[in-house]
Parts: sequence; C-alpha cells; structure tokens
Amino acid sequence: MAHFITGICNGCGACLKMCPTAAISGEKKSLHAINPGLCIDCGTCGRVCPVEAVKDAAGTVCQKMKYSEWLKPVYDLKICTPCRICVETCPVNCLDLGEPAPGPEPRTYPFLKEERRCIGCGTCARECPVNAIRMVVRGGKAAPPSSAKE
Amino acid sequence: MAFAYMGKILNVDLSTGEIREESIPDDIYRKYLSGTGLAAWLLHQRIPAGADPLGPDNILGFVSGLLTGTPSYFTGRWSVVGKSPLTGTWGDANCGGNLSPGIKRNGFDGIFFRGISEKPVYLYVKNGKAELRDAAHLWGRDTTDAEEALIAEHGAGARVAVIGPAGEKLSLISGVFNDRGRMAARSGLGAVMGAKRLKAIVLDGKLRIPVHDADAMKRLSKACNKWVQFQPPFLSGKAMAWLGALMRILPTQMALDGMLYKIFLKKWGTTSMNQMSLEMGDAPVKNWAGSNKDWGMGKSATVNPDHIKDIEKAKYHCYACPLGCGGICVPKPGAPEVHKPEYESVLSLGGQCMNADLDSIFRMNEMLNRAGMDTISAGAVISFAMECYEKGILTMADTGDIELTWGNAPAMIALVDKMIRREGIGDVLADGVRKAAERIGKGAAQYAMHAGGQELPQHDGRNDPGFAVHYSVEPAPGRHTLGAQMYYEMFQLWKRVKHLPRPPLFYFKGRKYVADEQKAVTAAACSKFMNLANGAGLCMFGLFLGAARIPSFEWLNAATGWNRTPEDYLAVGERIQTLKQAFNVKQGIDPRTKRVCERAAGAPPQARGANRGRTVDIDKMMSDYWRQFGWDPLTGVPPETSERSESSENQ
Repeated sequence: MAHFITGICNGCGACLKMCPTAAISGEKKSLHAINPGLCIDCGTCGRVCPVEAVKDAAGTVCQKMKYSEWLKPVYDLKICTPCRICVETCPVNCLDLGEPAPGPEPRTYPFLKEERRCIGCGTCARECPVNAIRMVVRGGKAAPPSSAKE
Repeated sequence: MAFAYMGKILNVDLSTGEIREESIPDDIYRKYLSGTGLAAWLLHQRIPAGADPLGPDNILGFVSGLLTGTPSYFTGRWSVVGKSPLTGTWGDANCGGNLSPGIKRNGFDGIFFRGISEKPVYLYVKNGKAELRDAAHLWGRDTTDAEEALIAEHGAGARVAVIGPAGEKLSLISGVFNDRGRMAARSGLGAVMGAKRLKAIVLDGKLRIPVHDADAMKRLSKACNKWVQFQPPFLSGKAMAWLGALMRILPTQMALDGMLYKIFLKKWGTTSMNQMSLEMGDAPVKNWAGSNKDWGMGKSATVNPDHIKDIEKAKYHCYACPLGCGGICVPKPGAPEVHKPEYESVLSLGGQCMNADLDSIFRMNEMLNRAGMDTISAGAVISFAMECYEKGILTMADTGDIELTWGNAPAMIALVDKMIRREGIGDVLADGVRKAAERIGKGAAQYAMHAGGQELPQHDGRNDPGFAVHYSVEPAPGRHTLGAQMYYEMFQLWKRVKHLPRPPLFYFKGRKYVADEQKAVTAAACSKFMNLANGAGLCMFGLFLGAARIPSFEWLNAATGWNRTPEDYLAVGERIQTLKQAFNVKQGIDPRTKRVCERAAGAPPQARGANRGRTVDIDKMMSDYWRQFGWDPLTGVPPETSERSESSENQ
C-alpha cells in the first residue's frame, strides 16, 4: 500500500523535500512519482501538495493543510509503559525520552522533543500497543523542510 | 501479501564489496519463522563443511524477529549468528537494545556477511539503501566511543552494532555491542566480525512493517501489559537473600511462577537474584568448587540489589519492552553514566572469583563492555586462572607479577586490562578457558569450567539439573537462556499446549535429579519454545510471565494472518532445533563432546554447601533429550542428516 501522485502534479518539488524516506523522485517542473517500496503512507506529500495531486492508498485525494492544522502526538503517561516503540519508529526522529521520573521508579517517558519537525503522520499513535498517544491539533509553525530529511 | 516479515535479506560480500538483496520464499517463514530460524536454514546450506570460523567462508548474520516492529511487547530482540570460533558449533548471541527495528525497518529480516574485507569497513543502510564505508577512523576505538561517533555522523536515527578492541584482536570471547551497554556476547561472534574487518553496522530505517490485524495485536498487548504493570510495593533486597536461604533449607520446592520473577525484575532487574541465587545454590562460587559455605550472606551483602538500585539514576527499557529491567547507573557522584551490570556479570566477576568489591565489578563491567568482551566468559576465565594460581600451575612469573589470589579485586582489574590488550598472561586467557587450558597444560584442563568450549554462566546444574542438560545438548552449548526445569515451570506451556505435563505445585527436591522421561519432555519443550521465541524476536523474561499471560502464539497469528495452533508453533521450534543440530554434524562436531565438564555436573559431588551430595546423571539426560527429537540416542545425530549428506554425495 502506498500513496501515489496523479497527472495534475506541477513538479514543484514540495513533497520531495518533505518525504521522510526519500521515496519521491522527479525533475523540477515535471511529474513526480512515489516509490511504493519506500512509501510509509505518512501522507506528508498530500498535506503539502499545492495542487492536491496526491492520492492515498485507498484512492482518496489528500487535502492540503496549513502546518498549524497538522495533528501532533499527545501522550497519556498514565497509560504509557514506556516501551520506546514510538521513539524508535518516528520517521523524522522528533520524539525522545525525557528526564527520569522522580521517585523509586525512575523511568524515562517519551515526549515530542522537536515539535517543528513533526510531520503529523501518526506513526507513533498507530504503533503504540496500548494506544497511549492521541493525535491533536497543537498549532505552531513547521521547521524549514530541509531539516525533516536529516 | 506477506505480513509481519519483510520477505527479503541483504547479502554483503566483504571480499568483493558486492551488496545484493535476496527474496526469501514465504514457505521458509512458515517452516522456520524469521530470526535465528531463518538464519539456521540459511547458514546450514551456505557455510561449507569444515569452514574456518575466522575465514572468508563463515557467514555472519544479524537477524531481527518475526514480531519485531509490530504493536506487540517483548519483541525487540535481535541475534547475531554464525559458526562459532569458540566452540566450532552453531553460534548465536541474543541481545535487546534498539538494533532489531533498525534491521526490519530497512526492509530486511536479516543482513548476512561473508568474505573478508581488505581494510576496516562498516555497513551503512538508510531505508534499504546499503553501502560499505571506510572505518579506518573507528578501528581501535572502544565500543561506546565508536557508537557515539557513528551516531554523531549519521544522525539521531542511526542504530549501531559495533565491536570493540577485543573483537578486533580476535578474542574468542568477544561479542557485538549495541545501544551503549547491551551486548550479544556469547559464542565469540565478535571475533568473526573482527576477522571480517567489519567494525560496525549502522542502520537508519523507517519503512513500514505490514501487520495482518493490528487491532487484534493491540488488544492482546493491552491484556499482557496488565500483568506486567501489576507490582506490589513491599520488597526489600535483604529479604531476597533470606528467600534464597529458605529455598535452600526446605526439603521441598514449589513450582515457580514467573509473575514473582517479573516483580523482582521490574524493581531491580536481573540483579534481584544476586544474593538469592548464591544462597539457594544456583550461583557457582570459587570456580564451581565452593558453595554458600564459602560465600555466605555477609560476603555477598555488597551485591545486595538495593545497593545497586541506590545508584540507579534511570530505568532502561529495550525496544518494545514495557518492563524495563535495565538501568543507567552513576556509580559515584560525578562519574559517567554506565549501564547497570546484569546478574551474570555481577556474579561472574563477583562470587565466582570470591570478589566482594562492588566498585571493582562496576569498573570491570564497563571495561569489558567498552572492549566488547563477554563478561560471563571473562569472569569464568579469571576464576579459572585464580584456581590455577592457587594450585601452583600459574606462578607470579606467568602472570606478570599479578597476585591472582581469590577475591583480589585490583589483580582482577589488572588481568582484565591485560586480556583486553592481549598482553602476556592476558593473551593466554583472552580466548576462553578451553584454549587457555591447552596453552597452559600441566593438568589445567580439569579447572576449565565449560561445555563444548563455551564458558558456563552463573546457573548451577547441581541446583537445577535442567541447566546442565541445556548446557550440554543445545547446538550452541553452555547457554542459560534456552531452558531449565525452573524455566519450564515459569513458561507454563501446559496451559496452551496439549500433552505437556503440569509440574506438581510442591515436590521434594530429590525429584529434580531423577533422570526420567518427563525431564526430557520438559527440556525438549523449553528448547522448542525458545527457538520459536528467537524466531519471533521475543524476550525470555517476557515469556516468564507464563503462556497464559503473554500471548506469544496469538500475536504470531494476528501479525501474520496464519491460523496455527501452539502445537504447530512448537513443531516449528523442533524443526529449527534439528536443523541447528544438523549444522553441527555437518561441521564435524560430535554432539557428545559438548557435555558439560565433570565438576559442574557434580562428579564428584560437593561435600558441603547447598548442593552437597548432588550429582547430575548427565549422560542419561542427554540421551533422553536426543530421543525426544528423534535423534540417535547414543550419538545425538539427527537421522535425516546422514541421509541428506549421503544424497548430496551421490549427486
């Protein structure tokens, strides 16, 4: 399953800059394409495409969204175990473990460390075995696209 | 569509630099799962008979598990596999840390290396694109240092497995290191990596792992997590020692429930067992010649788990673990953070060498971690050298003026340093006890505690004969993470698998030493189950919760879309075990030669202490075990091996 780019693509390259797995290729001002073997269905390409040329795996056209409307993870630390799956899975490495909790059980819980780099893909929420993560609108501005690819 | 596994492996030929992807048929995953099962299938075919473990024909593999990267718990274990240079047998070493998802999220179930590189290299893989890079700037650097340098170079998403100076210098007791303090240490596979001049693998992958029914998996995970999170608050480290003493004094034993062990693990990690094991006779003392009479509660008080917890600054969780038995410690104010030493390391460098100095144990653990050397084997080889020194086989002239008396902590530190550098006596000892005994001669072999060349871990078969059996019969000998009578009790497989016997709640201890068929049935069940676990990437500590509480079989079905019974899955485990045994036979290993050494089997029995008068009927138990798998009960050779080799000769 993967996202794909339709013929109305104007070749602006916005998606290519944002794709966390470098799955998108294409020359400037020409039709871009997504390599289905690398696509992780994060949907970022669809959210940034100015002409809405991206369809998701089900064939639905992805809607362009302002970055301030993108969904961001919020943790329920009462449910979190913390197993590190989210931290290890985040496609842009914007999650990290925090300082140890005070008390006799000094566990380190995950948090959204670099909010501006978060692409709102929801991979963390999808992979969490106990659904301790909700995706909500938190507003804010995106980091420059190049930093998402580091 | 295939679910849960990636269906591909990466083959790297270090001699030519060629990197090639290879598709694996679905059928193979059904027959052998992923992880070490897949690796056994591959290595058995592809490593030629008689291959030099340190030569170009040996294949070194890094494998993930079938359940790794799915919404399941305790499924972050990875293994390094190859023909062991230490034992000449099937070799594997299992580790937690954070490497496993890195393998799979690059689109591979395993990465396999053959050949030998001309100059030091490391493999860098980013979202499935792999390249070999020059490692000249890393060669000679210690594990933590090299790992941090690689992460600084490749970004926060890089997951690293690396060898240290011990592996580079081909120490046969060296391992592979990950996440600043976790090590796949056994079987000496660090030396294979060193021989190939492969310093590290660096994996940065974010690809998606398809799952058949994620919602079902999460439901199972939530139910399992309830058991993990149950934790009574009243626990004291000192009480653990008394519990061990009580278990020693009582003539009867109670079938263990892993929930109890889970509670200990969650509070203290594996160090919870430090004093308890010494008291009950589970941990060997004085190179397996001593007992709790030589190393009582007063001496072992320094390794009271509460002391270690006092300096624990943070809990450490491996990937996908809700339990978190690891820890990050600051041994002294202002000192750098180190990983909490595990039970095996503490007692191997502690009671086994009669060493009561906890600071020295922390220091040696960190030295060995940074060098990439196995703490279990290092402790065994030090206690071996101490006994040789006591008996006059080694003298001050041999040791380079190190006074190797029992419990001499500064001498142990000096010896560890020499072993890492391979200087003088260190060079003699750096390849494990069997090699060291050969080099020293003068009857030193009788003090070398090993099975098939692998140094023994800190679980005494004279207390639980199941350990002695698994040390002797497993294709990778001398291992404590595959089975034991107490493991069988904790796995509680009879709750899921038909026909497996339920142990009585209370029984007399003498029953453990009777070599009847039931012992063989339960030992075989442990081996099959752990093969399944290592194919799935499951952690043994999670499995101690008991089969009714950790849904290993149900996770496998939900992840893959298969509809198989627990019996079907144990048949997979049996198939893998037979394949590994066939690997050994093909490599010319006589299964009888992996038998645990005499002293560790209680021949002659100890005169005093927790295990006095106990002898394990190891030969009968090995034979009974082989019979359970349908192998020749006299030689341990699986029947199809002889047929297969005949048919291949005819072709």
